[in-house]
Amino acid sequence: MTRRAASWSGTRIRRTVQVVVLLVFIALILAARFHSGVRPGPILKIFFLLDPLVTIATALAAHAFAAGAFLALITIAVTLLFGRVFCGWFCPFGTLHDIAGRLIDRFKPDKKLRHHFSPRQRIKYYVLAGFLAMAVFGGHWVTVFDPLVLSYRSFATGVLPAAQWAVEESTTPLAQSENKAIHAVSRYATEPAYAFVRDHVFVASRQAFLGGGLILAIFIGLLLLNAWRRRFWCRYVCPLGALLGVFSLRPLLRRAADRASCNECDLCARSCHGAAAGAAGDKWIASECLGCLNCSESCRRSGLGFVWASPLRNDPETAPLDLSRRALFASAAGGLVALAALRISPQSRGKVYEARLVRPPGSRAEREFLQRCTACGLCMKICVTGGLQPALTEAGLEGLWTPRLEPRIGACDYNCTLCGQVCPTEAIRPLTVEEKQKTKIGVAAFDVTRCIPYAYGRDCTVCEECCPIPEKAIYTTDDEVQVAGVRTTIKRPHVDPDKCIGCGACVNMCPLKDRPGIYVTSANESRHPDNQPFLTGY
Amino acid sequence: MESRRQFLVRTAAGLAALQGGLFKATDVFADGGSAQMAIAKWSGKTDGATADQINQAAGKLVRQAVDALGGMKSFVKAGETIWVKPNIAWDRAPELAGNTNPRIVAEVVKMCLEAGAKTVKVGDNTCNPAQKTYVTSGIAAAAEKAGAQVVFVDKTRFKSTPINGKALKDIPVYPEMLECDGIVNVAILKHHGQSQMTMCMKNLMGMMDKRGLIHQDIPAGLADLNLYMQPKIRLHILDAVRILTAHGPTGGNPNDVALKWSVAAGTDPVAIDAWGAELAGYKPADIAFIPTCQERGVGRMDYRSLSPKEVAVS
Repeated sequence: MTRRAASWSGTRIRRTVQVVVLLVFIALILAARFHSGVRPGPILKIFFLLDPLVTIATALAAHAFAAGAFLALITIAVTLLFGRVFCGWFCPFGTLHDIAGRLIDRFKPDKKLRHHFSPRQRIKYYVLAGFLAMAVFGGHWVTVFDPLVLSYRSFATGVLPAAQWAVEESTTPLAQSENKAIHAVSRYATEPAYAFVRDHVFVASRQAFLGGGLILAIFIGLLLLNAWRRRFWCRYVCPLGALLGVFSLRPLLRRAADRASCNECDLCARSCHGAAAGAAGDKWIASECLGCLNCSESCRRSGLGFVWASPLRNDPETAPLDLSRRALFASAAGGLVALAALRISPQSRGKVYEARLVRPPGSRAEREFLQRCTACGLCMKICVTGGLQPALTEAGLEGLWTPRLEPRIGACDYNCTLCGQVCPTEAIRPLTVEEKQKTKIGVAAFDVTRCIPYAYGRDCTVCEECCPIPEKAIYTTDDEVQVAGVRTTIKRPHVDPDKCIGCGACVNMCPLKDRPGIYVTSANESRHPDNQPFLTGY
Repeated sequence: MESRRQFLVRTAAGLAALQGGLFKATDVFADGGSAQMAIAKWSGKTDGATADQINQAAGKLVRQAVDALGGMKSFVKAGETIWVKPNIAWDRAPELAGNTNPRIVAEVVKMCLEAGAKTVKVGDNTCNPAQKTYVTSGIAAAAEKAGAQVVFVDKTRFKSTPINGKALKDIPVYPEMLECDGIVNVAILKHHGQSQMTMCMKNLMGMMDKRGLIHQDIPAGLADLNLYMQPKIRLHILDAVRILTAHGPTGGNPNDVALKWSVAAGTDPVAIDAWGAELAGYKPADIAFIPTCQERGVGRMDYRSLSPKEVAVS
């Protein structure tokens, strides 16, 4: 084989595609930020629209298709033709697994036989069965299991904030140094570079997400499992891989082996990404094959290749997956038990509302919100103030890492509607600016044991100053108070619940940064008529 | 601190007044063309003016006001780097009078460059996200077009500086602002809940961070801040073309905007703010920070004693 031919080999092309798709995936995460005068395009959510697991789960749970969700048909069609090439060629999480596996092999050379099909690879189909059973009854726990969702969230709330931390923490001391030489380096080298990423990459200064460390740790942990089994996630856990596996039980493109030339060297199986065959490449299982082409390329005798075949033809080379019917039913039942476990909290029965669960404007009523939200993190990534944060306990286990507003970190910008415009499943409905400005996401209340004029008898009212409602949802009264024995008049602020939309600008600007003198709770939110405690029009 | 020119003029005036006692110092300013304060008022058509016509008038007004003080050359020297400090605090369009009129900012930038400034930087420590307010206010585009370098004030780059004032013991200042040779303060006249009004002196709060604290004692805080910044400030300009009469400083309701068709410029921020308070229908003495700043020596609230030059513009 000539060098040139080698450079165009199937695996080389596949690796190139993988890297390009991964870079596009990351570029689209970086592009998810406020651009003046530009409506965010549907391209930002393209990976989720192409994801059939998200689409099917949302359709089953919420009986709804988001705009653009039909794109998932493309992925299904490709899978019917070529098998699980989505996993082997496109999935960014899969590519990261390949990269992690390669890096790990450098330090821990691979000697063990861990490349043959293991019956445990069937686990992911049982996970899928439980997952789908849950979805049929209205549960939508894509959050934890979808690889695209998992990757997006981990990048947006873990990897990128870590990178931003490194950039900001390294350049700030240089910029503030009194040393002339360091100052010069800063002025002409590090500051311009920093200013560029600040203005074109970062969303908000010192951006960070509550529990981002946990999300990052899980992400890294899953990648480290490559040290034990290559593509551990893809082989054993991934329900998206399982779903695509179902579509590729009888693919049109199949592996064909020339048994006569095989000397059982096992090279094909050892290089297999999906562990799709037994020893010496025997018993190829179509639904486990990621189409990586490593087998055909590694065969020294050119005894392996891929050929078109009718899906009706029974092929002695192709082995069945042999899922246990009993295990599938057990898994489905397990999914229902899990759903019950998620739903038997007073909060999810609608008996109480969680005060801290202030959802972004346009969010549907909580039940339907959870039936759509994947916790992908796109809304949190694009939030112009960085106030949208992943919920840890506020929305229960079912709402793990779904978005909530933490106004101490960032308020809901009065003129911004980005979160609803990018939500892939329309858990947050797209609003016009006029609609958004009338949508209540909560209501503010003063903590008079903290608020400076109430608790300490001094003027302040920064909350009133920055309230963005044109007629001000915070008003003041001139109250006579006695401070340290001296009578004086100060302004004390009050909230008008008719006007307040719960944006949290007041909380964000309160001089008390630990526990502000004003806070926002979910009461009065437009999405829940039962959570509106005030008569209106007063 | 006064410029050398102002110092000489004032000294000459003082000496003349002492020696002869025949004419008032203000006459010297009036004749010499370098008064301390000028007020430009629109005398042209106002009925049914479009937003663009109002903005154009604003541009003319600020130029005439500065020209009445002897032109920007009296305040900016060739080769200097000048920071133009407008109010770009809120994510509001120019018509809502939440920020300084962009045409005024652009005109000030042009005048600084015409006076020979090497670099003119424009920036403010915004309250709403800067990437939005800079655009919505129209100021970034207008200033850039006029030749300025638009600077995003980075919250991670503030540096705490001891000032040992009455209310403020230290303030986080923005080094890039203070490294400039001089600052031109371009404020807008607005209602403000806690302090009743915000004008030139309060506009300087955009040069610091952690400004929420000032609200506990605005008069003392503003006096501290203005005394600290004074040496850097070459000129104060007050945009009173569109003013915000209620629900400030954010505004947002067009009904709260009133057209006053005026711009004031000068070196004494207390005098200008006193004029602005009157224009908005208040007694300057009732706006707590105005008399306090006079007592602390920031300036004189009896702006008429400066014999401000009044210019009619059309």
